[in-house]
Amino acid sequence: MHRNFFILLLALLAAGCATPQPPPETNSFRTAQLFPAEALVTQRGVLTVHGRQFTLNGYVAKSETRGLRLIVTETFGGVLADVLVKPGGETFVLKASPPFRPAWVKNYIAADLKCIFEDGAETDCPLQMLSDTHFVIERRGYKLDLRTVEMQAGLQPAAMFDETHGGKR
Amino acid sequence: MIKIVAMVWLMFAVAVFAADDDALQPVANPKPILLDLQFKMSSLKSVYLDFTQERRLKLFAEPLKSEGVMLIGEPDQIRWETTAPFQSILLANHKSVAQFEENDGKWEKLKLGFPQMLKRVMDQMVLMNQGKLDALTADFTITVATNRSLAVLTLVPKDENVRSMLAALEIRMPPDFSATREVVMHEPGGDFTRIIFTRERRNVVFPANTFDQIKPLEIAAVRAAVGDAP
Repeated sequence: MHRNFFILLLALLAAGCATPQPPPETNSFRTAQLFPAEALVTQRGVLTVHGRQFTLNGYVAKSETRGLRLIVTETFGGVLADVLVKPGGETFVLKASPPFRPAWVKNYIAADLKCIFEDGAETDCPLQMLSDTHFVIERRGYKLDLRTVEMQAGLQPAAMFDETHGGKR
Repeated sequence: MIKIVAMVWLMFAVAVFAADDDALQPVANPKPILLDLQFKMSSLKSVYLDFTQERRLKLFAEPLKSEGVMLIGEPDQIRWETTAPFQSILLANHKSVAQFEENDGKWEKLKLGFPQMLKRVMDQMVLMNQGKLDALTADFTITVATNRSLAVLTLVPKDENVRSMLAALEIRMPPDFSATREVVMHEPGGDFTRIIFTRERRNVVFPANTFDQIKPLEIAAVRAAVGDAP
């Protein structure tokens, strides 16, 4: 059912990724301070690829000492990407479902995650902050319009930040 | 005396719980049940449902929740609207599909990527809610299990690629098919999404533009018109 959709989206994304990257920009916003040190943050995103738009939900478990865990789902709940970024910057792609490839999850989704949640950790960060809850990241090939829609402060389960949990599904 | 009363209450509670939770028995030949369901649903012209969607991932201690409404009208019109924690409207009919996202208080119509996939999902939702399960047998193997308080229709995708994402889909209804209680989408790894339907209204008259794919009527106005204002 989804095969044609994925092939077309892969082609579009590949076309975008094959083009040269614009010069890196630095995130001058202090976005990380918008979020509690320990929290679960829910974001709604609209991903625009070559004029076509796709809606995504992102769930970010954030820990100051243990890292960031992002799970991306499509409209009806299917998990498209699962990535863990350790405090030192080490990135583990725990799941990448079509249309996302593991390399894209690592190079773009993890980079965008660090861009918003870790000030200074990501130098290539073309971020616009439209409000405390509204961000736009625009790279060659795609634009991601993100809104924070829910934030629950509090310690997240340790398993969230363990690369051996929930991976390689 | 207090102990006796407490024991009677406990026995009563256990009995009620057992009756509600008695084991589901698979139905050897589900065809008559499916025909009965289709016959009963064929008189359904429209339906309004509030829903709570619970996304249960093993990693998370609590389910990830969202809320919204699902409206189905004639001819083959569907509106799936998420109202919290964000606002989004999906609309489909037999010709096309549209999606709107709330953007600073205004609705923005998306330039959908590959709308045919979304339309197919929406079409299947309409067929399921109209009880037209025979139309789904090309894509799914359908089985039925029942107990005294519940009928569970289980749809297993025939396509291996689809099954790698969706292991099974369950539709839970009372045995008389008088309402859809829950839809549960099981994934191969054990994660699942449960959509719990509440406040079902059948054969309601939706106001104009409820399913409009250019400027859909605000959900508050739809709710008021069908007598479901919160």
